[in-house]
Amino acid sequence: MISGKAVISGQAAIAGIGATEFSKDSGRSELRLAVEAVRAALDDAGIAPSEVDGLVTFSMDTNSEIAVAREIGAGELSFFSHVGYGGGAACATVQQAAMAVATGMAGVVVCYRALNERSGHRFGQVSRAAASMPTSSGVDNGWTYPMGLGTPAATVAMAARRYQHVYGASSEDFGQVAVADRRHAATNPNAWFYQRPITLAEHQASRWIAEPLRLLDCCQESDGAVALVVTSAERASGLRQPPAVIRAAAQGSGSDQFVMTSYYRDGLTGLPEMGVVGRQLWRQSGFAPADVRTAVLYDHFTPYVLMQLEELGFCPRGEARHFIAGGAIQLGGRLPLNTHGGQLGEAYIHGMNGIAEAVRQVRGSSVNQVPGDGPVLVTAGTGVPTSGLILSEVR
Amino acid sequence: MNITEAAARIAEAGDGSPRRGRDPVNLPMIRNWLEALGDTNPRYEAGSLAPPAMVQVWTMHGLHPASTAGDPLSAMSVVLDEAGFTSVVATNSEQAYHRELRLGEQVEVRSRQRDAAGPKRTALGEGWFVTTESTWYVGTEAVATMLFRILKYRPPGPPEPLPSPPAAPPAAPPVDVLRPVVSRDTAFFWDGTAAGELRIQRCGECGALRHPPGPACPECGALKPEYVVAAGTGEVYSYVVHHHPPVPGRALPFVVALVELTEGVRMVGEILGAREFGVGEVSIGAPVRVEFVRVDGELTLPAWRLADPEGER
Amino acid sequence: MNPGDTLPELTVEVSPTFIVSTAIATRDFQDVHHDRDRAVQRGSKDIFLNILATTGLVQRYVTGWAGERAVVRRIAIRLGVPCYAYETLTFSGTVTEVADSACVIEVTGRNSLGDHVTGTVVIEVQS
Repeated sequence: MISGKAVISGQAAIAGIGATEFSKDSGRSELRLAVEAVRAALDDAGIAPSEVDGLVTFSMDTNSEIAVAREIGAGELSFFSHVGYGGGAACATVQQAAMAVATGMAGVVVCYRALNERSGHRFGQVSRAAASMPTSSGVDNGWTYPMGLGTPAATVAMAARRYQHVYGASSEDFGQVAVADRRHAATNPNAWFYQRPITLAEHQASRWIAEPLRLLDCCQESDGAVALVVTSAERASGLRQPPAVIRAAAQGSGSDQFVMTSYYRDGLTGLPEMGVVGRQLWRQSGFAPADVRTAVLYDHFTPYVLMQLEELGFCPRGEARHFIAGGAIQLGGRLPLNTHGGQLGEAYIHGMNGIAEAVRQVRGSSVNQVPGDGPVLVTAGTGVPTSGLILSEVR
Repeated sequence: MNITEAAARIAEAGDGSPRRGRDPVNLPMIRNWLEALGDTNPRYEAGSLAPPAMVQVWTMHGLHPASTAGDPLSAMSVVLDEAGFTSVVATNSEQAYHRELRLGEQVEVRSRQRDAAGPKRTALGEGWFVTTESTWYVGTEAVATMLFRILKYRPPGPPEPLPSPPAAPPAAPPVDVLRPVVSRDTAFFWDGTAAGELRIQRCGECGALRHPPGPACPECGALKPEYVVAAGTGEVYSYVVHHHPPVPGRALPFVVALVELTEGVRMVGEILGAREFGVGEVSIGAPVRVEFVRVDGELTLPAWRLADPEGER
Repeated sequence: MNPGDTLPELTVEVSPTFIVSTAIATRDFQDVHHDRDRAVQRGSKDIFLNILATTGLVQRYVTGWAGERAVVRRIAIRLGVPCYAYETLTFSGTVTEVADSACVIEVTGRNSLGDHVTGTVVIEVQS
């Protein structure tokens, strides 16, 4: 069941964003990265650490809420949560924070994600741990890992191949996403690929990772942290930064859902869980796809960006390749996507850096600012139970 | 690319990069070698010389090779491994020694592939003969040459269980594949593969088929899981050619498919032998037939092979 | 040394220890030379002698007969049946050519399955 007119819409706002530098080897602990990002976000908002009474992160983060609370000197907490399903939880951290704020469970909730994903545990490798967990997820993984399907890229490639087969999409179509991301990263000094755009030919020349995915279809691996401060829209209005009001916040899981391997339920050409999120976002906010000024669509692998455009209603099924053609998703186009450079271009902070960019777009402070006053949509990890947000300025 | 093309490409590449021996010619390795072989010839120790037949030893890759990149025999072995010719025996070695090596000398070897011939039927099974030429150098001086031939062959069928040997056998080390977590709900499936059956969960109440299995029936809610044995046929619903990163127990690249079984459920499995005739042969809709890959006594994996409607490929 | 001379036979008991220790001494870590279960899985009856060890045995056989002044110039061998653990390997040899200081010897190593190795060794005897 999809919730109706949401009480949450407009109740809370993102009042502060903070991040560490994005690198390939941070040289410090993930907990320290978390602390640095959380402090930066609180500074940005103009809120003292002692005022924080809620903390939210997600399942793959190695830093417990209480450890972060101790390090920042937060004192007592009344709300803390660890959302499941990795990158699919990115926007859900904000949803939970907004719910806590809207219901009076907490006054200032910080969402954070810190990872040494390049210098430490690399998600792109085959995870023996994931294959041997004595849990239902471990049993699920037994249907793919032993058969040799054990990396995120390969699991996405299986759906991407079917999508190509059914809708005629090509590797070049996937490449358009990479080209757009890297173009935007090229003008973002915080991006790892600052001043390093790519051409479609370079995408086509990059090596196979898991056919039909090439190296440049896959996001980078990064060390870094991002934090977001959520408080009531009312309080946010009086703080240092223009608030990014949370107009809608939703989670979604599809029927017969698996983590990265929902291969048994349908035509394998979409992301039904993102459809669940999208329907809620439009209903909660009252906005429609045509209203959206710019979007940050989770881009760990390019094919899922095309499928998201379809699931969220920006274009009909199978037509994303036409929708994105001709620079439509680049700055100046019909719907600029991932103006920070995305996870292919800026950094892979598990979707949290995309939320920060959405906040900057609402504030008008992005290095690749998209003009207009329409809302900004941001989504979380795809292929897994996921989440999304619609943000806008105070109206 | 087929094996002949791969062989031609590797041969055309000519000499691989020179590979330095791990250690200089040294007495401890010589003494170990003499002792193991029972060779009591005093010539070597007295003259600080290496036994000529040791020349290849100095540049062996070792237990954990740093890299075999650029080594033609390693490259060809990968190609043949992927094609299912996973076992190897050496068949010929012709070594010529220009001079004896002295203690302290550092050798390096350069190898090139001379030819790869096959597939040929042999007593061990179908296989390919791969011939390489190697030259060992000390500095720029060639000190020895070798023509070396191996047979890479496909081992016949899964072996019978080991008979109990007279002495306590060492426990077999686990083969390096990722093993499934087996629950009470899924054990029937893995018991089935071990028995050569592909089992699909069937609801004991409403008869609905389902894969992957679970304790309940999502259709009718019954907690009465049973199973049927699948015909073992199906077609490729989608597939991936995996190139990177390495996957335990697999030589790269390999093909993994999502197979839609004739019974209607889908299942993930490797497409066996795909490299042998080129991954281009794999396509969505291609008919496949199940095979069972016995990893060891504890695990048998279901896998698939392209079924040729005409019978012989 | 004259053409037609025969070398005295040499027998080598090929125990598992012999196979494993010669494999390791030749830095050959292929599992078929030290791990019976894997060897069986790959279609062999048991672990078997590696080719570098066989080459070494051929050298040992010839130099054991020719003496420490013999310098080995060439060893060319062809493998026949495998030499599994618990085999007895019996070497025999015949001098086929003698020219100046060089001497060519044909060598055969047999076990219960047949010829494990046949080959030619060229030595030079220093005066």
